[in-house]
Amino acid sequence: MNIVITVGMADYKIGKTPNKLMTAGLGSCIGVCIFDLKLQIAGMAHIMLPSSKEITKGSPMKYADSCIALMLSEMKKNGVSNMRLQAKMAGGSQMFAFAGQTPLLKIGERNAEAVENELKKAGIPLLSYDVGGNFGRTINFDIETGNLHIRTFKHGEKVI
Amino acid sequence: MDISAIKLEALKEIGNIGSGHAATSLSNMLQNRIDMSVPKVWLIPLSRISEAMGELDTVKVGLYLKVEGEAAGKAMFILSLGSAEIIVKTLLGMKECPDLFTSEMGQSALKEVGNILVSAFVIALTQFSGIELQPSIPSLAIDMIGAMIDSVLLEEGKVDDNVLIIDTKLSGMEDMEGKFLYIPNEGSLEKLLGVFGL
Repeated sequence: MNIVITVGMADYKIGKTPNKLMTAGLGSCIGVCIFDLKLQIAGMAHIMLPSSKEITKGSPMKYADSCIALMLSEMKKNGVSNMRLQAKMAGGSQMFAFAGQTPLLKIGERNAEAVENELKKAGIPLLSYDVGGNFGRTINFDIETGNLHIRTFKHGEKVI
Repeated sequence: MDISAIKLEALKEIGNIGSGHAATSLSNMLQNRIDMSVPKVWLIPLSRISEAMGELDTVKVGLYLKVEGEAAGKAMFILSLGSAEIIVKTLLGMKECPDLFTSEMGQSALKEVGNILVSAFVIALTQFSGIELQPSIPSLAIDMIGAMIDSVLLEEGKVDDNVLIIDTKLSGMEDMEGKFLYIPNEGSLEKLLGVFGL
């Protein structure tokens, strides 16, 4: 039977074929999938903020650097090989705009950069991504094929 | 963050005062009776926020206003698409609702509702507590609720592990269904509770 494993905000989950991983309603957050196609194991993290180094408070699962590190170490316990790991990501939008004001922090954009950097540091190729814009995304990862399915409300669906 | 039962009661009371005024102002604006529920106060871990918000990919109309001042926070008015259409039709005196995605008139009507609602909430809070608060101009999105909530929570580039939400349901007029949320910023909680001597 295949189960869809739902990943909440500031959380990650690891799954194996034939299960799927999903996270719903990404705005400024990033959903990143790291996977080993040979072993058919994947992890999906729902990341909220760029770096735990600027702010040390609270759960490490909120931040790109610490959450990815935790997820990777759990994946390695499951036997995945660093050599085979690949990644995809989506999210990082800016949902609300105030007339005449540019947003101060552009969290969505910074989140995407932070995830990209963490992957680079870990030596994991980022195969494809769909980030930015001003709309929400719900993502579904098929561990068997490595396809990341992205659904939006008014901006269509795609598979990356 | 940990909150005692008495503090939760105080926050409920704050929600009651503010939302009561907000519901009255909305009733006046729409010339229809709008009721509100007893507010619910959530203190919920981020990973379980769907318990408060429902399925995170449900599409809703969201109006967001920042509340600035001594006890700053975020105010959101969340409506189903159908309810937003009822409001726009009523306000504009039209039989058919214009397309909310493209109609500037429809969108500004909704923003005006956000304005009035949040102003009423804030004024009530200020009168009751003496804490000076000012709402920003409204911003509108029609999208997945989860996407709207995360953007609002993360706007300052930080977020608590547990989110405190004062949540009031508004209802009335052919199944109108809305939610008014107030999310106090970090540090605002003490200010608000201070009013009750807590």
